Amino acid sequence: MSEQSAMALGLQGCPICTKVGPVECTSCEICGARLHAGWSNSIQRTWAWLITSVVLYLPANFLPIMYTRFLGKETENTILGGVVSLWTHGSYPIAIIIFVASVFVPLGKILVLGWLCLSIQLGSTFAVTQKTKLYRVTEFVGRWSMIDVFVVGILVALIQLGNVMSILPGMAALAFAAMVVTTMLAAIVFDPRLLWMSAEWDDLK
Amino acid sequence: MATWGRGVLIMASAKPSQMVCHECDLLIGVPLLEPGEKAFCPRCNFLLAANRRNAQDKIFAFAVAALLFLALANAFPFLGFSAQGQERTVTLLQCVAILITENFPSLAAIVFALIIAIPAIFLLGVIYFSSSLALSRRLPATEITLRWMLWLLPWSMAEIFLIGILVSFIKIVAMADVALGLSFWSYVFFSVCITVVVMHLDKRELWRGVRALPNE
Repeated sequence: MSEQSAMALGLQGCPICTKVGPVECTSCEICGARLHAGWSNSIQRTWAWLITSVVLYLPANFLPIMYTRFLGKETENTILGGVVSLWTHGSYPIAIIIFVASVFVPLGKILVLGWLCLSIQLGSTFAVTQKTKLYRVTEFVGRWSMIDVFVVGILVALIQLGNVMSILPGMAALAFAAMVVTTMLAAIVFDPRLLWMSAEWDDLK
Repeated sequence: MATWGRGVLIMASAKPSQMVCHECDLLIGVPLLEPGEKAFCPRCNFLLAANRRNAQDKIFAFAVAALLFLALANAFPFLGFSAQGQERTVTLLQCVAILITENFPSLAAIVFALIIAIPAIFLLGVIYFSSSLALSRRLPATEITLRWMLWLLPWSMAEIFLIGILVSFIKIVAMADVALGLSFWSYVFFSVCITVVVMHLDKRELWRGVRALPNE
């Protein structure tokens, strides 16, 4: 046993000060930070934030994120429409960045966290180490989804030439920003030690 | 909890130099590092700890510099744009204010918090706890400040905002000319400085330093 997973040993590292302590601690003995075990009903909380994210994901993707007014003519732009138009204009790298940040990452994050919650509730012991790693990845990448919200903010501020050329924000921008925040919160309240707990429960059966 | 009996037994033997890889959850002993040394996870290559040279001084200096650049970024024109013979110049705060006038005050609040307010609070906090360390005196609430600043870190999105600006340029460049104002470059330098600060924050070293401060 040269390579041991901390959670398999009932240990966790404090994300704020790196102190290693038992997983059942709700707050760190060194720095007092709230640890994952400090969230009661972690699964229910994660589900609550995830369901909120899904509810926000739909308007974020189907309503216009901004309106472009060009020579008096107004067109609606959705997130996916923006990706497609960047792609057809030949800006492949940017189209890929926006697609990954705005479509793939939020959806992937919701699916991964949902799957992790379900597998805990079903008492699955499959690939626990990999699942823990997957959770850390979702925790890390979530904030990068904010790019599109900032793009809307900049375009709206900059392009204000009345009827000649203006860009106005759409409801999807707010829904999307709120969704990024709720998926980040879902990842914060999720308790990865529960992945290992259901594995241990299985050992007892 | 009976299920954790195994864990509790091992916990008793947990050594102070042990760390858990935040990426792959490997439990590993990491000795205290000499200045200039870094420790990577042997399983997934994640940076576990880095004791960079003169970290304390650099954190303080770059945090002050970042704060000054952020102030400058609010003082001059940020971006300019011209098309069809018309021109428009905006400041950084106007990017936020326009969202309020377009009836999205909550979106304006989110953007303002992520690109200006949270980074500013983070930098002030960093300056505060590094002053504590530099003076070797426990200023009031040093530990709470350090904990909150480390917690706040993922919500400071200066570098993401910069990528957003880049993407916006690529969207506009076909139909209009874009001018970069003095404030834009200030924001770039601010973003670089805050990244240097974050790079030099070693959680374990910081807590060791703060806990070693004399009680007054």
